Amino acid sequence: MAAVMERPLLPAILAQPRPGGWEARRAQAEAALEGREWPSTRQEGWKYTDLAALKAMDFDCGADRPVDIGPLILPEARGTRLVFVNGRYNSHHSNTSSLPGGVRLLNLASASELAHDLGSLAAPAGADPFADLNTARFRDGALVVIPKGVQMEAPLHVLFVSTQDGDRPTCSLPRLFLVLERGASATLVEEYQGRGRYLTCAVTEVIVRAGASLSHERIQRESTGAFHFSSLAAKVERDAQYACRTIAFGARLSRSTPRVTLAEPGASLTLDGLALLGETQVADTHSFIDHIVPDCTSRQAHKTIADGASLAVFNGIIYVRRDAQHTDAQQQCRGLLLSAQARVDAKPQLEIYADDVKCAHGAAIGQLDPEAMFYLQSRGLRPALARNLLTYAFASDLLAGIPVPSLKRQLRQTVLARTNAEHLETLP
Amino acid sequence: MLSIRNLTARIGDNEVLKGIDLEIKAGEVHAIMGPNGSGKSTLGKVLAGHPAYEVTGGEVLYEGSDLFRLSADERARAGIFLGFQHPIEVPGVSNASFLRLAYNKKAESAGRDELDPLEFDDYIQEKIRLVKMDGSFLDRSLNEGFSGGEKKRNEILQMCVLDPRLSILDELDSGLDIDALRVLGEAVTALMGPDRALMIITHFPRILETIRPDRVHVLSAGRIVRTGGMELALELEERGYDWLKAEVAPAGRV
Repeated sequence: MAAVMERPLLPAILAQPRPGGWEARRAQAEAALEGREWPSTRQEGWKYTDLAALKAMDFDCGADRPVDIGPLILPEARGTRLVFVNGRYNSHHSNTSSLPGGVRLLNLASASELAHDLGSLAAPAGADPFADLNTARFRDGALVVIPKGVQMEAPLHVLFVSTQDGDRPTCSLPRLFLVLERGASATLVEEYQGRGRYLTCAVTEVIVRAGASLSHERIQRESTGAFHFSSLAAKVERDAQYACRTIAFGARLSRSTPRVTLAEPGASLTLDGLALLGETQVADTHSFIDHIVPDCTSRQAHKTIADGASLAVFNGIIYVRRDAQHTDAQQQCRGLLLSAQARVDAKPQLEIYADDVKCAHGAAIGQLDPEAMFYLQSRGLRPALARNLLTYAFASDLLAGIPVPSLKRQLRQTVLARTNAEHLETLP
Repeated sequence: MLSIRNLTARIGDNEVLKGIDLEIKAGEVHAIMGPNGSGKSTLGKVLAGHPAYEVTGGEVLYEGSDLFRLSADERARAGIFLGFQHPIEVPGVSNASFLRLAYNKKAESAGRDELDPLEFDDYIQEKIRLVKMDGSFLDRSLNEGFSGGEKKRNEILQMCVLDPRLSILDELDSGLDIDALRVLGEAVTALMGPDRALMIITHFPRILETIRPDRVHVLSAGRIVRTGGMELALELEERGYDWLKAEVAPAGRV
C-alpha cells in the first residue's frame, strides 16, 4: 500500500543499529516505517502542517553534551529531577535524592522486562511515524513507578534538553513511562528545552491506576529552530483523576498528539492546552479522548494565541463508545488572532455512539472582546495596554491551576513578555 | 461641569437618544430615571465613549471642552468614571494588580507619582474599608466568579481608587441587597465634594434614599420628559412609569 518513497523518513536515524531491549515493539515499528512516506498535506491528519522544511534537513543522533540547566531548575523539585541531554540520561544534572521510599526509578534501557505495558498504550505501529521512529530507535528514557498509596509531595521534574552538535542538527528520541499505582498521587512536569536546530520525537506513556491522581504538566519551550513531535498515551482507571496540561511556547514546528483512554467507570480527565505563537511558528494539536466505559468525565479546554504569520491547528476528537453511557464530556477551543497573517484552524469533534450522555463542544476564534476592551479603557488604560492585558489574561487563565508555583511564575513571566504586558504583576 | 446640548446618538440603525439637554454643575447629584429601554444606559455609555454608539448630533462640554474629542481612556484619565451595570470578568488578571495599574496610569497623566506595590497596598486598604470589601477579593481575578453584588462593590472600589470628578453609576442598585446598597451609597456619598459631580442612572428610587439627588430627570424614548426634585422620584415609586409614557407618547411620534 505504501508508495515508493521519494526520500526516506530520517534515514540517518533509522540507519543507527537497533538498541537492545524491546525487540518485538521495535520490530513492529520498523516494519511500519519500512517504505513509509513522509506525511503530506494531502492527508487529513496533516492537512495544515507542512513538513517540507523538516524533510529538507538531515539530523545526527545527539550525543551527551555539556549544558547549563541552572535557569531551568525548579526549586520545588530539587531532589526529584531527571535530566536527559539529547535523549540520554544525564546523572550529573539529575538529582533523585528526595524521591519517596518505594518509588522505582529505572533507566528504560535496562527495564524492558519490568515494563511489559510499555508500548501497549501508545498508538499502534503505523499510526504515527514519529512515534514509530521513537519506538524503533530510542536509547534511553525513564520508567517511574509511584507505589500504591504514596502521595508524592514534591513534583517530579523530567527535563529533556537538546542542543545541536556543532553545526549539525541533532535528533533525540526521549521516552517516558509513568505508572501511578492504586491511590497514589503525584505531579509530573515533563519539559522540553533546547538550543539551536534539532528534532525531538518524544513518546510518553502514563497509567493512572484506580483511585490515583496525577497532575501532568507538559511544557514545550524548545528553541525556535527546533522541530518537536510528542506523542502522549494515557490510561485512566476506576475513579482515578488525570489532569494534563500542554503548554506550547517554542519550536518552529510542533505537533502534540495526546491520546487518553478513560478505561474504567468513574475515571475523570482534564485535558488542557495553550499555544502561544509568533512569527512563522506552527503548533499542531491532535487530541483523542476515548470514552469506552460508563460514568466517566472529561473536560478539555484548548487555547491558542497566534501573532505574526503563525499557524495553530487544533483537531480534538472526543469518542464516546456505545457502552459509555452517562459520559459527561465538554470540549472548548478558543483562539485569539493578533495579526492579519496569523491563522487558527480549529476542528472540535464529538463522535457519540451511546444514547444517554451529556456532551458539549464549541470553538470560538477571533479578536478580543470589544466590551472587555471598553471596560479597561473606561478605567484609563490606553488601547494598546488594554489589548496586551486582555491577551495576557486570555493565556494566563489557563496557567492558573499549575500546582508548581515556580513553574507557574516562570510561564506567566513568559506570557507577560510575549504579550508586552511586563509591567503587570502576576496573580499569586 | 457637564453640559449636554441636544445630544442624539444611535446604535446601528436604532436612534436611542433623541435630543438630550442636561446641565450638571460641580457639587451636584443628578438622578436619571426611566423605564427599561428609555436610553438611560445609552446616555452613560455615550458619555464614557463606548465605541458601539454613534453620536449623530448635539454637543457635550466637559469642564468647558468638547468631550467627544477625547477617546474613552482619555475621558477616564480626565476624571470621568462609568460604573458598569454589568461589569466585565477578566480571568487571569488580579484585581489588585489591575487597580494599581489603573491608578498609576491616571497618576502618570496627571503628573503625580506612581505608587509601588507596597505603597499601593496601604492606599487600597483604606479604600476597601470604605466599601467594606473582604480583602481576599484583591487577590482574585478581576470580577471573575464575583456575585452581582460583589461586582458592584468592586465597581465602587475602583471609583474610590480612581477618585473621579464626574461619576456615572449605571444601575448600581441592581444585584445589591439593602445592606450592601446602604454601604455603597454611603461610600459614594463620602466621595462627593464641591468639585465633584454624580450621575445616578436607576430604574428604582430606593437608591436615592442613601444618595440624595439634587435633581431627578425622567428619560422616556430617548428624551428627558420630566425634571424635578426628590418628590418626582417618590411620585414614580408610587405611580410607576406608565402615566409618563402615556403623557409623552404623542410627542414621541413626531
